[in-house]
Amino acid sequence: MQVVVIGRSQVINSRILLCHECDLLIENQDVCEACKVQCPRCGHILYKQKHNTISHSLAYALTALICFYPAVTQPIMTLEMSGLSQQQSLISGSLILLQEKYYVVAILTFLSSCLVPLFRLLLLTYVTLSITLNYYHKSLIWSFRLFHEMEEWGMLEVYMLGIIVAVVKLLSMAEIQPGFGLWAYAALLLSSILATTVLNPHEVWDALLDRKTREEPC
Amino acid sequence: MASKTITPTLPDKIITGKEAGLVLCTECHKVHRYIPDAEQECKCCGADLHQRKPDSINRTWAFLIASMILYIPANTMMIMNVAYFGADEPSTIMGGVILLLQMGSHAVAFVVFVASVLVPLFKMIGIMLILFSLKYKVNMTDRQRIKMFRFIEFIGRWSMLDIFVISILAALVHITGVAEITAGPAATAFGTVVVLTMLAASSFDTRLLWDYKRKNYKNIELKQEPAAD
Ligand SMILES: [Zn+2]
Ligand SMILES: [Zn+2]
Repeated sequence: MQVVVIGRSQVINSRILLCHECDLLIENQDVCEACKVQCPRCGHILYKQKHNTISHSLAYALTALICFYPAVTQPIMTLEMSGLSQQQSLISGSLILLQEKYYVVAILTFLSSCLVPLFRLLLLTYVTLSITLNYYHKSLIWSFRLFHEMEEWGMLEVYMLGIIVAVVKLLSMAEIQPGFGLWAYAALLLSSILATTVLNPHEVWDALLDRKTREEPC
Repeated sequence: MASKTITPTLPDKIITGKEAGLVLCTECHKVHRYIPDAEQECKCCGADLHQRKPDSINRTWAFLIASMILYIPANTMMIMNVAYFGADEPSTIMGGVILLLQMGSHAVAFVVFVASVLVPLFKMIGIMLILFSLKYKVNMTDRQRIKMFRFIEFIGRWSMLDIFVISILAALVHITGVAEITAGPAATAFGTVVVLTMLAASSFDTRLLWDYKRKNYKNIELKQEPAAD
C-alpha cells in the first residue's frame, strides 16, 4: 500500500509535480537554482528554473513587431521576364489567390504565415509588457493561454523555406531580385524565434498567478 | 548559458496523477484535486481540466482517416499548372519533385520530397502504428513510442511547405501570355491533409501511452495533510 499525502485545498500547492506527457507523480522536488527538472519516465521537461526571461522576450517581440509591417507589405521578390517585371508582397499575393478562388490555399497561407504570427506577437507583447510594468488585468491569463495554444499554427519558418524553394523553381525561367520584404521577413522570423525560445513560460505563469492571487486566491 | 538538467530518480512504485485523484492543468501547470463526474475548470487560469483528453483515441482516428482519404486526390490530381509561352505543363506533387531533379537542383528536390511526400506518409503511418500498438499491445517500449510521437508532432508542420511554394508562385508568376502559374485542386486537398494530420496529432493524449498496462492498479491510499492550525 502506497500513501500519497496531498494538501487540503482544491489547488495542490505542496511539492507535487505531474508530468504533462505521462502523468507521473513526482513528490518532494528539491527546488534547484537555474536548472531544468526532467521527467524520469518519459524525458519531458517538467520545470525550468530560469529567471529574467520576460524582459528579454519583450525586447525581441517588439523588434519582431517593428519588422512585421515591411515584411508583409513590401515586395518579397521581383520577377523579370521578357522585359516585363512583376513584384509581390505577402498581402497582395494572398489577395490575388483569393481573387482566383483558391480559398483554402489563400486562407491557410495567410493565416499561418501572417495573421497567427502577428496575433501571437501582439499577445506576447501584451503579456510581457504588462508583467514588466507590474500591471494586472484578467485578460492577461487568457491572452497567455491563447498564445500557447496557437503555437503550432504559426509557420514563419516554413514560409521562409517556401520562399527559397520558390526562388529555385523560378530561376530557370526568369530573373529574380530579392525585395526589401524578404529581408524584413527574415528579421521577423529571427526575432520572433528568439522571443519565444528565450521565454520561460513557467516564469510567466508564476508572475501572472502571483498577481492574480492578490485579488482572489486560487 | 547551459542550465543543468536534473532527473529525479524514478520511484519504485510508479503512481500517476490520475491514480492519485489529481488532475494537472495543462495550461498553467497547477495541480488540482480531481472532482469526478463534474465539468471542472482550473481555478487559476480558467482552462478546462481533464485527466485525459476527452475521446482522444476516437478523435485521433477520425482526423487520421479523413486525412488518409484526402491524401489520394492530393497525390493523383494536378497540384500546379505552369503555362509557359502558351504551353501548359500540369504537374502532381511527385511530378514537381522530378521536375526539380531534371533542373539539377537536387538539394531542393530532396527538401520538397521529404516535406511533401515522406513527412505526411510517415506521420499518418506513425500515428496509426501508435494507435494500433495501444489496441493490440504491440511490442514497443514506451520510450520508443513517445520519441516517435514527439518526432511526428515536430515534423508535421513542415509539410505545409508545398502549399506555401504554390501560393508564392501562383501569386507572383502572372504575366498573361508569357508565363502563368495556377494552383490545381490537389493543392486544396493537400493543404487539408496537412491540417487534418496536425489535428490528429494534437487530439492524441500522450498519457494514454502509459495507461494501458496499469488498468488494475488501485493500491493507493490518499491521505490528507493535517490542517495547518
Ligand atoms: Zn513524464
Ligand atoms: Zn490552469
